[in-house]
Order: sequence, then C-alpha cells, then structure tokens
Amino acid sequence: MTMQKIYLAIPLLPMFAAIIVGLFGKQLPRATAHVVTILGVGSSFVLSAIVLNDAMTAPAYNATVYTWLKSGTLTFEVGFLVDRLSAMMMVVVTFVSLMVHIYTIGYMHEDKGYARFFSYISLFTFAMLMLVMSNNFMQLFFGWEAVGLVSYLLIGFWYTRPTAIYANLKAFLVNRVGDLGLLLGIAMVLYYFGSLDYATVFKLAPDFAAHTVYIFPHVPWSLMTVTCILLFIGAMGKSAQVPLHVWLPDSMEGPTPISALIHAATMVTAGIFMVARMSPLFELSNTALSFVMIIGSITALFMGFLGIIQNDIKRVVAYSTLSQLGYMTVALGASAYSVAIFHLMTHAFFKALLFLGAGSVIMGMHHDQDIRNMGNLKKYMPVTWITSLIGSLALIGTPFFAGFYSKDSIIEAAAASNITGSSFAYFAVLVGVFVTAFYSFRLYFLVFHGKEKWREAKGDSHHHESHKVDTHDENNHSSTDAERAHDSHDTSHEDSSHEEHHGLSPNDDPHEPGWVVKLPLILLAIPSVLIGYLAIKPMLFGDFFKDIIFVNHEAHPAIEDLTHHFNTVLHTPAGMALHGFMTLPFVLAASGVLVAWFFYMKRPDIPAAIQHRFSLINKVLENKYGFDSFNEKVFARGALFIGNKLWQIGDVQLIDGAFVNGTARLIGKLSGVIRKLQSGLIYHYAFAMIIGVFLFLTFFMKT
Amino acid sequence: MIFTDFVFYILASILLFAGMRVITSRNPVHSALNLVLAFFTAAGIWVLLQAEFLAIALLVVYVGAVMVLFLFVVMMLDINLDKLREGFWDYLPVAGFIGVLMAGEMVLILGSNHFAIITAVEKSAGYSNTAELGHVMYTQYLLPFELASVVLLVAIIAAIALTLRDRKETKSINPSQQVKVKRADRIRIVKVKSETEVAEVIEPAPTDKPRGIK
Amino acid sequence: MDNIQYDMITALPEIIVLSMAMFILILDLFLTDKTRFFIYVLAQFTLFAAAYFTLTTHTPSVGYSFSDMFVDDALSDVLKLMMYLSTSLILVYTRNYIKLRGMFRGEFYALVLFALLGMMIMASGQSMLTIYMGLELLSLCVYSLVAFDRDNVKATEAAMKYFVLGALASGLLLYGMSMIYGATGTLNISQIAAALIDPTLIQSTGSHPVLILGVVFIVSGLAFKLGAVPFQMWVPDVYEGSPTAITLFIGSVTKLSAFAMVIRLLAQGLQPLALDWQGMLLIMAVCSMVIGNITAIAQTNLKRMLAYSTISHIGFLLFGLMSASLNGYASAMFYIASYVIMSLASFGIVLLLSRKDFEADKLDDLKGLNQRNPWIAFLMLIVMFSMAGVPPTLGFYAKFTVLQAAVQAGFIWFVVFAVLMAAIGAFYYLRVVKLMYFDEPVDHTPIQPSADMKIVLSINALALLALGLMPQSLMTLCAYAITHSLQYPK
Repeated sequence: MTMQKIYLAIPLLPMFAAIIVGLFGKQLPRATAHVVTILGVGSSFVLSAIVLNDAMTAPAYNATVYTWLKSGTLTFEVGFLVDRLSAMMMVVVTFVSLMVHIYTIGYMHEDKGYARFFSYISLFTFAMLMLVMSNNFMQLFFGWEAVGLVSYLLIGFWYTRPTAIYANLKAFLVNRVGDLGLLLGIAMVLYYFGSLDYATVFKLAPDFAAHTVYIFPHVPWSLMTVTCILLFIGAMGKSAQVPLHVWLPDSMEGPTPISALIHAATMVTAGIFMVARMSPLFELSNTALSFVMIIGSITALFMGFLGIIQNDIKRVVAYSTLSQLGYMTVALGASAYSVAIFHLMTHAFFKALLFLGAGSVIMGMHHDQDIRNMGNLKKYMPVTWITSLIGSLALIGTPFFAGFYSKDSIIEAAAASNITGSSFAYFAVLVGVFVTAFYSFRLYFLVFHGKEKWREAKGDSHHHESHKVDTHDENNHSSTDAERAHDSHDTSHEDSSHEEHHGLSPNDDPHEPGWVVKLPLILLAIPSVLIGYLAIKPMLFGDFFKDIIFVNHEAHPAIEDLTHHFNTVLHTPAGMALHGFMTLPFVLAASGVLVAWFFYMKRPDIPAAIQHRFSLINKVLENKYGFDSFNEKVFARGALFIGNKLWQIGDVQLIDGAFVNGTARLIGKLSGVIRKLQSGLIYHYAFAMIIGVFLFLTFFMKT
Repeated sequence: MIFTDFVFYILASILLFAGMRVITSRNPVHSALNLVLAFFTAAGIWVLLQAEFLAIALLVVYVGAVMVLFLFVVMMLDINLDKLREGFWDYLPVAGFIGVLMAGEMVLILGSNHFAIITAVEKSAGYSNTAELGHVMYTQYLLPFELASVVLLVAIIAAIALTLRDRKETKSINPSQQVKVKRADRIRIVKVKSETEVAEVIEPAPTDKPRGIK
Repeated sequence: MDNIQYDMITALPEIIVLSMAMFILILDLFLTDKTRFFIYVLAQFTLFAAAYFTLTTHTPSVGYSFSDMFVDDALSDVLKLMMYLSTSLILVYTRNYIKLRGMFRGEFYALVLFALLGMMIMASGQSMLTIYMGLELLSLCVYSLVAFDRDNVKATEAAMKYFVLGALASGLLLYGMSMIYGATGTLNISQIAAALIDPTLIQSTGSHPVLILGVVFIVSGLAFKLGAVPFQMWVPDVYEGSPTAITLFIGSVTKLSAFAMVIRLLAQGLQPLALDWQGMLLIMAVCSMVIGNITAIAQTNLKRMLAYSTISHIGFLLFGLMSASLNGYASAMFYIASYVIMSLASFGIVLLLSRKDFEADKLDDLKGLNQRNPWIAFLMLIVMFSMAGVPPTLGFYAKFTVLQAAVQAGFIWFVVFAVLMAAIGAFYYLRVVKLMYFDEPVDHTPIQPSADMKIVLSINALALLALGLMPQSLMTLCAYAITHSLQYPK
C-alpha cells in the first residue's frame, strides 16, 4: 500500500463506517454500531501512527487528490498536505476519537439513539481529519463547516430537551459570525493571491507584506493585517475566544463523550491549528498578532474566573477548556506556534481525560451533574478518582506532568514576547495559573473528598447553606432572563423532574462503570503524564516543525529565547521540571490548590461569606459578564425586531399607511369583504410599481 | 396639409377627452359609451394615416362586437360603481402628483425629436393598404400571427374552463339524456272506468284509486 | 420579400407541443374519469417527444427561421430542455394533488402545455414581437391556472391580482419595446444591437434619452416577471393564494422563461446599453436581497416564506446578470437552473405533505417531520441547506459563482453585502430544519406518497447534493449555451 492510499484511507474509513451505521443502524443489531465504527476509527488510528512515524523522516506530502471544479483560473480541489504538524494532529484526533468511541459503549448504552450517536462521532472524525489534512483553504472551510455541523447535531442530540435545542441554536448562530470572518478572510486571500493552495499563498505572502488595501476611502489598511484578523475571527468562533465564546458552555447540553471529543480535544482546537498552519501569514502582521494575543489573554483569565462559581461538573470543565484555549491563543500571539500546538496536544489528552472522568462521575451519580450533591466518591470510584487526579494535576501544570511543559512554555513565551499586549498577556496567564489550580481542585475536592452529600434529603441542593445567596439570586433572574433556563441549577432541577434519571437516592452507593469506561480513562491518563516529558524537546526545540511553522525570529524572538534558555540552563525535560519547582507559576498553582482545600474542605463557610460580602462581583460572574444577555438583547432581538419592522413598515405602513392613509386599518376591518380587499391591494401594488418606474426614470435619465 | 393637421387635432382632443371620461364618469354605461367614442376617433386618426383596414377593423371588432358585449354585461350586472370607486379622491392627490411628474419627464424626453423614423412616403393612388397588410401578415409576420391565434385559443379554453361548471344547485338539463327518454319511462296509463250514470243516487267517490297521470 | 425561409424543422418541438396540446383537448371529450389517466401519460409523452426532437435537431450553430423572428441556438435548446424536465417533474408532483381537488381535467394539461409553448417561444424569440407574444401566451395560461380551482376564493383573488398587475407589467414592457422600436426602427433583437453600436444613429438623432426611457420600461416589465423589488408585490400573495400545484409551476419553470427573456432583451439586444441597465439591476438586486431575506424571517406561512425567499434568490440572479459579461450570464444561468431544481423540490415536498382538504402550507405543518417520516425530512434538509447556500450543496456553488462574476465586474462591496444577506437568509431556512428535527409534531397523519412521486422527489433533492459535488457538468452546459449563442466579443 502506497502512502497516498494510506492518506486516503485515514479519513475515508470513519466516513464509510458512519454511513453504514447511519443508514442501516436501525436494521442491524445494536452491537454492529460500535463494532463497525470502532473498527473504522481504530484502523484510522493505526494508519495515522504509521504516517506520523513516516513523516518523522520523509518530506512533506502535498498533492491533489480530486479536482472538484475549475472556474476560470480558479480551481477547487481536495488535496492532502501531510507533514509532521498534520500527522501529529491526525494521531491526536484518531486516538482521542477511538477512546471516546470505546467509552461511548458504556455511556450511551441505554440511549435510544445509540447507532445515530456512533454515526455522528465517526462522521465528525472524518470531517476533522479532512480539516487537518487539507492543503488548501477551500477544503479547510469545508472541514470547518462539517465539524460545525456535526457539533451542531450532537449538541442537540437530546432534542427533546428544550435547553439542548437552545444551546444548539446558539452554537450555530455564534459560529456563523466566526465563519463569516473566515470566509471573508479566505475571500481576501483568493482575491489578492489568486489561489487557495496553501503552498502558493505562503510563497507569495512576503511580497504582499507592505501591501495596503482601502476598505474605507483614504484609509490604508495593511492587507496582511486585515486578512489575518478576518481569519482569526473564524478561529475565535470555533475556538471559543471572547466574545464569541458564549456557545461553548452551553454546548455541554450534548452527551459527555461529545464534550470530551469535540468541545475539548479536537474541534475547538481547530482555530489554534488553523492559525499555526497560517503562521507564514500571521508572521507578517504585528497588529494581527497583538490582536490574537490580547483576545487570548482575556479569554484565558476571565473565563477561568467563571469556572470558580459553576456548580455543574461539566460546566466547570468547560470553562477550564475556554481558559486553556486562551492560553494556546496567547502562545500564538507570541509567535510561539509550536508551543501552542504542543499545548493543544497535551491539553487534548488531559482534557479528554477530565471530561470522560466527569462523565464517569455523572454515570455513577445517575445523571446528577451538580457537584454540591457529590463528595467522597474516591471510596466508590477508585479508577475515576486516580485518573481525574492525574488529569487535574496535569491541567494545573504540576512539574513532570504533561501540562506543566506546555503551560510553562506558554508563560515563558508570553514573558519573552515584545509585541503590544504581551505584558498584559503575561500577567493574565500568570494569574490564570492560580485560578486554574483553584477551580480544578475545588471541583476535585467537592467531588472526590468530603461528605457524601447525596445522602442528605433530595431537593435540598437549592437550600444548601453555603449557596443560599446564589440560589436566591438565580430565582430572581430566572423569570426575566431566558438564559437562566439552562443554567446549572435549573438544568439539574429540570432533569430531576422530567427525565427518568433521578440522581442518586440517599441510600444508594455510586458504582464505577464497567471496563469500557475505565479503559479509555487509563489509556488517556498515560499520555497525560508522559507526553510532555517525551515530546517537548523535539517539538519545541528540535526540528519537528522545521519548514512547517515559520517564525520571524528577529521580530518575534519568543521561541528563540525559549530555546536558548532550554539549551543553556535546563538542558533536559527533567531539568526543566526540577527548575519548575522554584518558579512563580508553581508557587501560584500550589497556593491555588491550598486555598481550594482550605475553602472547600476546611472552612466551607468562607466561600459563602465571600459571596455574600462581594455580591456584586458574584453577580457579574453569575451573569458571565453579561455576554449572553447582551447578545440576546441586542443581536437576537435586534434581528427579530428589524424583520418585524421591515415587514410592518415595508408591507403595511410604507405602502398602505404612508401613501394611503388608514388602509392598514381598512385591511383589518374588511378582511371579510374580499372584493374590497382585492381592489384595495391591487391599487397599492400597481401604485408601487409605478413609483418604481418613476424612480428609475428619475435616477437614470440624463437629458 | 393644414386641413389634415386640423382634423388630427380635433380627433386627438376628442380621443383624450373620451379617454378621461371613461375613468371619471360615475355611470358605467357612460364609461362604456365614452370608450366607444374613443374607438371611433382612433379609427378616424387611422383613416387620416390611410390605414383604412385598421380603421374598419377597429370599428367592426371593438365597437361592433366587443363593446356591445361589454355594454350588455355592464347593464346586466348591477355593479355599484360608487363602491368600487371608494377612495378615488383620497388616492387622487398622490397618484395625480406622481402621474404629473412622470408625464413631465416623458414630455421632456419625447418632446425633442429623438426618433429614427424616416418621414412617411406618399403611396400611389392604387396602393392597397389592406392587401399589403395581408401580405406581410401571412409572410413576414407569420409566426406572431399564428401565436396570436394560439393566444385566442387559450383565452377561449380558459374562459370555458373557468365558467362552464356543474353546480349542484343548477337545474340545467342534459340534452342527450333528454332525447333518450322513452314514453314508457315517463307516463303510465291507468284505465279508469267511465262513470255510468246512476240515477238519483250519489255515492261517495273512491279515495284510494289513482286518477289520471301520476 | 417573398423568398422568406420557413425552416419548420427548427420549430419542430414547438409544433409538437402545440399539436399535442390541441389533441389532448379534443381527446379529453371522449374520456371518462376512469380513463383520464391517459391524458397524463400523453402529456408526459409530449414532453419526452419534444425533448427528443430538441436534442436530435440540436447543432452548436445558430439557425434562424420565420423571417428571423425565431432562433434555434444553444441557449434556446438548453433552456427548453430544462423546461421540459421541470414541467415533467411538475406533472409528477401535482398529479395526486389536483386529483384530490377536482382539477384533474384535460384543460389543466392543455393549459400547462400551452404555457410551456409560450415559454419555448420566449426562449427562441428573436424579435421583440415574438417574445411579447410568447410572454402573453404564458401569462394567460398561468392566470387561468391560478384560478383553476374555481371554488377556492383565495385562488380566485390571487388570480385577479396577478392578472391586473401582470397586465400593467405587460403594458410597461410593451411601451418600452415601442420606444426601442421608435429609436432604432427595428424589432429584431440582433438588428437592435447592431443599430445601437452604429455611431451614426446615436449622433444623427441624439436618441439616447429615448433609448433610456425604453430601457427603464423594459427593465421594469422584466423585473415584474422575475419578481424583483419594487415589482415584487404580487409574488407573496400569488404564491400563497394559488393552489400549491400552480405555485410550483409559477415558482419554478416560469423563472426559466423570465431568464430567457432577460437574456434575449438585455444581453442580446440592449447589450450596448449595459452601462445604463446595470445600475437598475444593481438597485433591484440589493433591494430584493434586503426585502426578501429580512421579510422572510417574519413569515409563518411556508409558501409565503418561500415567496420571499424567491425574491432574495432573484436578487442573487440579478447580481450575475448585472456583470454584463459572458461569464456573468453563464453564472446567472447556472443560478436560475439551481434555483429551479431547489424550488421544484421544496414545493414538491409541500405538495407531498398536503392531503385532501388540507394544505401543508404552514411552517407549523413541518414540525416534527423527522419523527413522521425521516426520509422526507432529510430531503427537505438538503433543500433548505441548498437554499441557504451551505456547502457542498448546489446552492452554495450557485451563490459562489454569481458572486465571483460580480467580483470580476468590480462590485466588491456589493458582494460583501450579498454574503451578509445570505448569512441572514440562512436563519429562516435553518429554522425550517429546526422545526423538522427538534419540534414535536402537531399532526400525526401518516404520509403516504405515491411511489413515483417519492422516487422522483428523492432524485430531485439528492441532485442538489450530487450536482453540488460535481457542479462542473452543469456549469459547462450553461457556459456552452451562453458562449455559443451570444455573439459579441467579451
């Protein structure tokens, strides 16, 4: 089998599996669904591993597979660019996807839509692979839309829940904004470079570095800045950067395996991948890089804060994902693309692990997601406990764990960067370390340690002592603000009243699910510990991304500085870890863990007191800085308002009201008298036509 | 050519006046009659242009057939024109304003001589406009002519399809069934004994016996 | 004058359609309700025969006939083939519907064939007179078809509106034509084009203002037929009021003839005045997109929503036309062909969901369609995605190609605007998807389409996907038709 056939087989195997299961899933026995898809994704993973191994030595493969259409000088084609960057992404995507497939057997085994679910996740794998393997913008956009579509389908998977429908609509609308940016960016590329092929565009890019465009008359804008910012707006939508992040927390309405696969490990990192792929373009614009960095640091810091006050186990992890995506974006802004990709990879493993761990807890708790009802689960779910601890340690950047290497490098890169906004970014990522440690271990302690709170009477959660204030606030809001409908409390409340899963009754013990759940946890825990140690040297400081990622070392010295520091001071990954114990980030992380322990294990009255004392801050956080209500009030209602108004003004008032006084009233009155209605309307229609002719005559006559 | 000019202006002003009256008249019959007047004057103008066939056709077809039919319909249907014209005076200011503006623009354009038409050539006395029309109609303009016939056919089909209908409440009869009816289906002859005179005795008539044709 | 060529072979398809329409009309008298199915078969056969002869007599060269009033070129042949195909689909989709409503009569099929004849004449018209006659033939048939269900008060009202406004639009068109005739002295399309580039004409008579006057009126008349703002007022009312079978007809195949008319009059005859009519098309395109897309959001009636969607699609079509280049015309033709396929499928589904005494024309009637019949919901999903322009459906490529043509013509800002409008438009198409997949059905009546309808409709909707993946074939066809028919340097 030649390499090209392997490349072709990698995305197509999951696709065929998806089609078979999707079309015939209902007719075939239930087990076929997972057997077929796991076979497809499994072989994809094996082949991806072969490809990665091959790509370590072989030169990049860049060729067209299928020409979709030719239109003038423009060609749309499907092609593969397989180099070490895409090979690595392929391995990550197929590995996490495989784990999620296995895990799903356990998680969804009661669900009606079993086959449908497997079909969707295999389809997603296909789309994601097409995205990362693409060698042109066109296919990138196709993959981009396809992953969005599957994500949309999966968020609304439980379509009988109104909250799921709402979340899914929101994800769709917000992503449209991002996609519009991406599309315009691609249009700029096409318009100025005349090609959609990566290689061609990258080769031409330096010639356009000083090129300016006039969007408004007499105001020159740098072409590269405009293009890169537009492309990045696309990334902001998909990778949930402020202010387009609002859909990600709500996407937790989907089943947990999806949250792990799509909304943590793969799809949301597509934006990061895209920017790294476009490094030759982004390197040409400092303005765009600053923009990227500032957006990233805002996301990293402020989304972390929100994680602190969430009570839904999945939402805590979701906000942590947002914050980590912000970290990656900061790395991109600092021109440390390799660091961003490195963090993307380690994050994929440990965040998938955390989500699947959360899913295991949810199963153990019989689909109760409120962490205030949990506690001391370590006694009942040892595997979940250990693996979640590993995931949390990796997340907060404990030395020797995978997250440490990538996160520490990002902080160093932010420090070394010298573009506008880098000092704020450095501050943000540093504070972020503390915040991350705090909310991660708040979650960890509340879930796995402490009292077994579900044994208290059911329905008490709303009157739990430490959250009295917060509950009170919510009740006040829920009547006015539609957003609240799917906030954590209400969700759990709704679930317990409408669904068959009632949470755990006081006398039950939670049970750890079977091997299909535990195996992926263990298999994901291994790279969460080791991958950073193994990969940092080749990926960041070696030749792994040579000729793939371009950095202008003179203008953006961050990665150069990092390499220099590593080679002169640290020498080995182990040295880096040992040095890590003495740095500021470690101190911050450790204090975050300690504070979390003190607040939630030792003195649970303190958080309540803080909440009470600083109710304004709490309210701001509760409202998620008001993004949701702003969007809802301004954009959603605005569009509806304009639509209604135009209909009223255009159809009813302008024609009927303005020209013919009171006809609108007449129409209402005479709806029964059809003859009158007819003549009345025809008069107006005919009159509108005459006006049209008159205006044309007036505008276009040049006598 | 002073005289023909004079006649033209007379006819044209009558035509315009009649046209105005068609839409302003309160009585629908007056409107229809004004339309007839308009056709007449238009025919007159055609005669001036020596297009006698068109003039005759206009009179025969429009005045003779179409308008008479139209008058019948207007008189038979009791159309309350006042109701139809409700709001006419409300519309008039706006519509009139736009109309005047548009007319002004068109006068500006058409007033100057922009047309590429060559001046008409006087034909010899024996020239037959009718024959010439017939000639081009069946040669050069054959296709539009045939199409016009199809349009008329469609109009007939549409008119029949939309109006010919079997309503349940109509009492129309089916001629073929009517013709097929036999005597035996409709009448039954019952023999009744002729009354014999019974002198001086009056009996009550039998009530249960049918009498005559049922 | 007497040596005029009557090349009947060039008009063979028209002759077949005309004769068969009349034959059907007579045959209908001798059929009973039980044997009337034969009429349907005969109508389909007519379409097939016309298609067969259109194909076999096709040559890439241009043939004139009937004293140059009729042309047989690649454009007319391709458009006619599209018309046969769409009419054939319409007959399949409507058969059951009209049967349930007492419209299954010989006149229905005769009128449809006469309307088709009118459209074929419009596609082949080479003189303003023939084009106008074709248009009148089509319009008359359509007016009566709208009113065909005589006990339907709404339909009668719609027919009345359509008739009066259509007559006004015809008047505008005719007036414009007379102005052009007055300025150039000819009715023939190619002679008009030749006269317009003849510098002596313009200089000697200074006839430019008259020409513009003519163009304004012609464009207005065309805009009415297309349904572009501000001549769109009839579209929602007529779409909603007509029986869905007729809405299908008006909403799909007649747009092909309107396109043919635009190409013949503007691109072929008035091309030298492109600079003048480009601006008008631009204004109409922008207004149509705004009014169409935004008003559609507020609709609750599916047919009305599709009507506003048509208006916005026409906006996109005008974008292709206003580029006034061969490339632009080809892309516009591609757009209109795609639109017709989408429109057939969407109204086809509405017809399929309708039952006796029940029109599935409310958006609410689509609620929970996925639970009632997943396959039909899936087909509708494809159609809606295609209308919204989601890749890789045909609708995406259609939008892309007209916008590309507009970019080449230098209308970059308007293209950005159009993309924005398409994004807004996606909202109401996707709302339909949401209703089908995520809402609970209100109506639980089982859907039992006839087998042929289900198969044809599936092919129709899946074609949107297939052609979206391989748009090159359709694009080549459109480019072939345009480049072989319009003979002026690019």
